[in-house]
Amino acid sequence: MTAESSPPTSVETRLRDLRTDTSPVEFVARVVACERRDVTRKSDGSRRPVLTGLLSDGTATVRFSWWDPPREGIERGVVLRAVGAEVREFRGRPEVTFSWRTRVGPASPAELPRLDADEIPFRTVRDLHPSEEGFRIEVRIVRIAQKTVTVGTERRVVHEGLVADRTGAIALSSWSDFGLHAGEAVRIAGGYVRAFRGRPQLVLDDRSSVVRVDGTDLPDPAQLLASPPRSIAEVDDEGGGEAVAVEGLVVALLPPSGIVFRCPTCHRSIRSGICRVHGQVEGQPDLRARIVLDDGTGALTVNANRADTERLWGVTLAEAEARLRSQPDPTLIEEQMLEALLGRRLRVRGVGTHDDFGVTLTPESIDRVDIDLDAAAEELSARLGDRR
Amino acid sequence: MSLRESAWRVSARELESSLEEEKGEGERATTYLLSPFGARMSRVLVAGSLSPAESIGRDESQTFWRARLSDPTGAVAVTAGAFQPRAMAQLRSASAPRPAIVVGKVHLFRGRDGVGYVSVRAEAVRSVAESEERACLADIVRQTLDRLDLVERVEKDATLTEEAARADGIPRAWFRAAKESRSRYPNVDRVAFRRELSNVVRRVAGESGPARATLPSPSTVTVTRAPPPRPAPPPPSAAERAEESLVLDQLDEVADVSADGYADLKEVLARASSQGLVAERAEAILNRLEEEGVIEEPIVGKLRRA
Repeated sequence: MTAESSPPTSVETRLRDLRTDTSPVEFVARVVACERRDVTRKSDGSRRPVLTGLLSDGTATVRFSWWDPPREGIERGVVLRAVGAEVREFRGRPEVTFSWRTRVGPASPAELPRLDADEIPFRTVRDLHPSEEGFRIEVRIVRIAQKTVTVGTERRVVHEGLVADRTGAIALSSWSDFGLHAGEAVRIAGGYVRAFRGRPQLVLDDRSSVVRVDGTDLPDPAQLLASPPRSIAEVDDEGGGEAVAVEGLVVALLPPSGIVFRCPTCHRSIRSGICRVHGQVEGQPDLRARIVLDDGTGALTVNANRADTERLWGVTLAEAEARLRSQPDPTLIEEQMLEALLGRRLRVRGVGTHDDFGVTLTPESIDRVDIDLDAAAEELSARLGDRR
Repeated sequence: MSLRESAWRVSARELESSLEEEKGEGERATTYLLSPFGARMSRVLVAGSLSPAESIGRDESQTFWRARLSDPTGAVAVTAGAFQPRAMAQLRSASAPRPAIVVGKVHLFRGRDGVGYVSVRAEAVRSVAESEERACLADIVRQTLDRLDLVERVEKDATLTEEAARADGIPRAWFRAAKESRSRYPNVDRVAFRRELSNVVRRVAGESGPARATLPSPSTVTVTRAPPPRPAPPPPSAAERAEESLVLDQLDEVADVSADGYADLKEVLARASSQGLVAERAEAILNRLEEEGVIEEPIVGKLRRA
């Protein structure tokens, strides 16, 4: 897996095998990102240009710093050969530095390390961690949808979804169109993992490859989305998840619940008529409930949107607004909502994210659960060993 | 770990049987009430028949209300004050017992005689349909049985680790609670407690009438951590009897003019000292009267004839 297994004929080191004790090294890699800056030296105030960014050769991505770089010609996508680069370690990860001793020149993409398919290790969803790359994985596409986002000044299409194997599910974000469809089984190489809102996410781009496989041992997507609820303590331990299902009782509502006002442009909730991004705006009323769901093992927050809130509460936004006009006290709305929801048994499915306050679920479905009292009584009395 | 304490599903009997506390270190640390049956509670969820509330506040500005929540195993006091305005409004709203569920923080008050009284400071109260109350009771019994099983498992297998338990789907908090229960209440009678749970199951099945009908049943759960009996005090002398009647007179006088019918302890002591009885002496007499069951102190600093 490491330097020992690389062919001895090659003088180039693969980025995956970089160690501080192998410095200086020779390698071929592609520039993934770069940024030019000037660093002012403290001793004499002279300015020295430096180019920093990320290099990748398909086995790993490392940071690089290039002192006194050429004035132009180095940009994203360029393949370079570096001879005599120094390897350093920063926060436990290797980095390379190009100094006056290093010879850097253009190279062809064909010179990038050839990775034999069976050299790239197979991974399972469970052991994918942020900033991991150089792996292959076989997954089932559970769902996929495309969306347009603005990156800087550029409009780009991103395909977002959920993929899963038997060990778990992970969010997918593909910046390149592989024509993915829900239900397909695929083998992915050249992807990487990053953390997005505290959850790992598998990212694909134009360097990734996707091959359809038959995937007989991969889970059925419908089954995955209908998995039975788990204990909130477990979900909490794992820091949320992509397809979380829990069942518990409503024990409280967190503010802001009830009628909120949102910015018409970005839908952020606004305070005193001022949006964080768009300034003074005409707020649009919306209904929401931040439900604390508790199953006796733990508690989490469920952010219910307007449709779910109206359905659970049985009061529409228009009716709530009418109530607010006749009783101009917004806390009453929240109170009446809690009055209707407290103690309700709900089953919630959705995406769970984790922060300092615990797990928050963004629900895909919220369903009321009514338990069969006779069956429950029978089961419990059997457990108590009653002879009746 | 999530920061929010989860609500332990408990019966009134389990709360009544809980006499041990775990005080947290440092400022604003959570205090946990430990039950003999595997709960380590800060917040609880209880269900049953909620009685109309009575005001136990000292004065108008510090209103405090108390009601009793009864389930087939016993009853527990539910309180709400100015800091729980919503729950207080809910407690005050009823004029007759009704099925309800309550979420709140547990509070253990230990009287000067060493007997503990558990109450629930309500965060949220809701009157529910009878079927909802029964569904909640089913949840309470199921989780209580799960916890009892865990306590027994911990008892049988002292080598069981938290990680091994977690692999079986047992939450860390439950494992910790079971361990604490085992060490704090080594000789508790869990069989008798299980029998009490059968009454709750009958209620879940809709068999018995309102829960309060079974209220005066004597406790069958013996908790070994109850304070040891004290040696019988020597009979009081004639002088002591005279002091007693003086203190009682003051108590009655204070109670007569107070708004809530209770005599304020400080006021009684002040009046007694103006009659020539030093405060320490008067307090000792009040303690003895309370032990003898002549008077009671349902709220700290508030006395009344028993």
